[in-house]
Amino acid sequence: MTIRPNALPTQEMTINMGPQHPSTHGVLRVILTTDGEVVTRAVPDIGYLHRGLEKIGERVTYAQFMPFTDRLDYLASMNCNCAWAWAVEKLAKIEVPERAEFLRVIVCELNRISSHLIAFGSYTADMGAFTPFLYGIREREKINDLFEMLCGARLTYNYARVGGVSGDAPPGFLEKTVEFLDYFAPKIEEYNELISYNKIFVHRLANVATVTAAEAVAYGLTGPSLRGSGVPFDLRKDEPYSVYPKFDFKVCVGTGERGTLGDCFDRYMVRINEMRESIRIIRQAVARIPDGPVLAKVPRVFKPPVGEVYFRSECPRGETGIYLVSDGTTNPFRLKIRTGSFVTMNIFEKVTRGLMIADIVAVIGSFDIILPEIDR
Amino acid sequence: MGLKDYMNNIVEAVVTTAKGMRITARYGVDPKEEVTLQYPEERWEIPERYRGFLHNDIKKCTACTMCVKVCPVDCISLESVRGADKKMVLAFYDINIGRCMYCGLCVEACPVKSLKHTSGYEKASEVRGELILHFIEEDAAEIKARVARQVAEAAAKAAEAAKAAEAAKPAPLPSEAAKAAVVDPKPAKAEAAKGETKE
Amino acid sequence: MESLAISLVKAVPVLGAAPLWAVTLLLMVASAVVILVFALTFEGVGSLVLRKVAGDIQARIGPNRVGPNGILQFLADGVKLVLKEDIIPANADRFLFKLAPYFVFVGSFAAFVVVPFGVGLTAADLNIGIYYVMAVTSLVVVGILLAGWASNNKWALLGGMRAAAQIVSYEVPVGMALIPAVLIAGSLSLQDIVRSQGGGLGIFGWNLFHNPFTFFSFFLYFTAAQAETNQTPFDLPEAESELVSGYNVEYSGIRFGLFFLAEFGDMFIVAALATACFLGGWQIPFFNAAALPPVWGNLLSLGVFLTKAFLMVLVMMWVRWTLPRLRVDQLMRMAWKYLVPLTFVNLLGVSLWLLVFKGKGIPGMIASLFG
Repeated sequence: MTIRPNALPTQEMTINMGPQHPSTHGVLRVILTTDGEVVTRAVPDIGYLHRGLEKIGERVTYAQFMPFTDRLDYLASMNCNCAWAWAVEKLAKIEVPERAEFLRVIVCELNRISSHLIAFGSYTADMGAFTPFLYGIREREKINDLFEMLCGARLTYNYARVGGVSGDAPPGFLEKTVEFLDYFAPKIEEYNELISYNKIFVHRLANVATVTAAEAVAYGLTGPSLRGSGVPFDLRKDEPYSVYPKFDFKVCVGTGERGTLGDCFDRYMVRINEMRESIRIIRQAVARIPDGPVLAKVPRVFKPPVGEVYFRSECPRGETGIYLVSDGTTNPFRLKIRTGSFVTMNIFEKVTRGLMIADIVAVIGSFDIILPEIDR
Repeated sequence: MGLKDYMNNIVEAVVTTAKGMRITARYGVDPKEEVTLQYPEERWEIPERYRGFLHNDIKKCTACTMCVKVCPVDCISLESVRGADKKMVLAFYDINIGRCMYCGLCVEACPVKSLKHTSGYEKASEVRGELILHFIEEDAAEIKARVARQVAEAAAKAAEAAKAAEAAKPAPLPSEAAKAAVVDPKPAKAEAAKGETKE
Repeated sequence: MESLAISLVKAVPVLGAAPLWAVTLLLMVASAVVILVFALTFEGVGSLVLRKVAGDIQARIGPNRVGPNGILQFLADGVKLVLKEDIIPANADRFLFKLAPYFVFVGSFAAFVVVPFGVGLTAADLNIGIYYVMAVTSLVVVGILLAGWASNNKWALLGGMRAAAQIVSYEVPVGMALIPAVLIAGSLSLQDIVRSQGGGLGIFGWNLFHNPFTFFSFFLYFTAAQAETNQTPFDLPEAESELVSGYNVEYSGIRFGLFFLAEFGDMFIVAALATACFLGGWQIPFFNAAALPPVWGNLLSLGVFLTKAFLMVLVMMWVRWTLPRLRVDQLMRMAWKYLVPLTFVNLLGVSLWLLVFKGKGIPGMIASLFG
């Protein structure tokens, strides 16, 4: 859009896309400077959901911090639980029983599916198609039922423990999981037919906010946002942890199929494809899960050795890294959590220059940020 | 954009719209696709492991305070006094279910399995005080007074019995009395140390 | 209306005492009241049907608590809106703020008077029917712009601007898509257009099947008219997830209610025009409605018309819940680069067809082949 010189003098508007907004995926405030419909600058303002989780971590013990990791990214609660457990186990060199690791992988992948369902549903709802959101929620309720059977909660699971998991799978859980996968796999095709390849939806997403591979790496993007730009980096394959080396799955990468490589549509399709890969992983895990205990012997008064550790795991929104410093007492000395959504906000200002206001919503949805992760 | 692309755009728009409309039409027409559960008339079947409101079986509880120590948000509070039979007696046991985050760590920590989750989840109230569950109905001060009385009575009885036993015993020989005086200091120190740890 | 007044005076001699213009005026007001009641009822029930259809499509139940199966929900909503606090923002332009909803409502409601409900059931059978509808529905733009500006809110302003651009742009294809029906009937009056679709061919007498160009005209009209009424996929001015309800974000209570009702009123107008111009209006297939006794003829044709119009409204709701919304520049591109050329080509095609085949449609030609 060119502005002719010597045309009528116009003024730029400063609009506040406030903390209360239906499409900002939480309490995100974006200060837009626009020239009519075209955004010249979009500055995000975060911190409305800061709860001091890292400071709380210094006050409670390692086992007591587990419920707080639930609230770190409440849509991928199992992933955050397991990340904390793996970090502490790496620090204290605890050996986790194999059945517990398999259970952790199953619940992490199920939670990845349910998190991507919300990402998909809320994204299409932001774009104006209200129906796929409810279909996604219906599928997610079934996953929640599985988790309720397993650990007793539907959102903040608190399932992993330092040394294993809190409880073994009740009888019927694994069968019901496979039943759910059989029910869910054709639904992804239905979503693709209903909305993913719809011409209007494709036009809203294609060629919007293109992030090249070099830019993505330079700005520190991780997870589906990075893979959408064509970089095949997945922590489960490149720095495998837990029992992920035993499973056979593909790393989903954006292909630029409907626009340029690295636009919003690629990031969206990476999430849809990742749901399919998660289904594959869960099927393999359920087939191969060994018998055995689910919790290692960890002393009640748990004092890990002095030292520091950085552990990173692949959460649905990117890499969740936990930097843990221990001084030999029952409470952590310092813990710092690096989340994918927080680092993604780096690129927000650059990528939104020259877009329209309607595209800001598309960008926020394509990066799939969530505010508790950003603000902790 | 050539004519071919132009016509392709139109055709693709129409075809993808029609495909989407076919899916929504199927949902719109099929009555089996309603998944709504009409709460409060229909309720979801609560599974066994559901982490609902907490309940403490006072008869089993030994007041070991493991639940208090392990709670991340300090929502359990209890006070206990040592009874006449050397067991702890609870003066009050309160759980603030408004603060509780239903994480289940206390239930896992309870060694006698008196603290359990129930399947309750409906306790919305307009007064915050209603959200504190008291598991001991008696007034705490009364319990403490009663236990103190019992302890005093037991101590008085024990003192009387000891005095009676003393009176009934024959007088010890001078050599035996000297030996007892030498051996004495250690048990006294041990008693003092045990008394401190009990606090 | 004057002829009706004359026949009424003949039937009820006591009215002969009043001058004719008074009786005519009384009749006009009475018919306007009837139409208003119908419009409001439709708009209320329409909002409920919208939510029920949404529920069905989205695998859930819509409202079902107020009244059996939720039938009285719209009454509850109406009462709620009336009882709400009337908030006018501090720095808003008070006069314009209060005036805007009336423009929008009048723009929508005034078009109801020419809708051909039945054989003899039109409030005013103007001989410039379609022209009048196009003109009067443009008032809505003024109302929306006023609402956007007077709210003293940047989001409302953006919504108002978008709406102005959108509605004005889509007027062109709407008009051009309706002209084929006018050409075939040879008159702008809606009753004439409906009457021209009779003629004993049953369903094939509809303008939809007249020639391939009118077939496409119907879909082009429907698409462009959906944009006129701010329905998804064209609901940018009131995009709930971006502009948080756009131009009516600062409105509360019954002022918001007027905007809301006008939206459903517009939907009905679009459906009514589509029915009248392309789907045969009140023509009962294989019957000559005009030949039936007046009461039966009117009732049956009213029923047929309303059924067709409601079906069209349902299709609009169906599309609304399926598609995402277009961005502003894509919307304008679609109007000017796709709909305007296509409707123009259609118009040329219909004109040529009528010239070459002397006004006969395909069904008419096939019928004359078989004698």
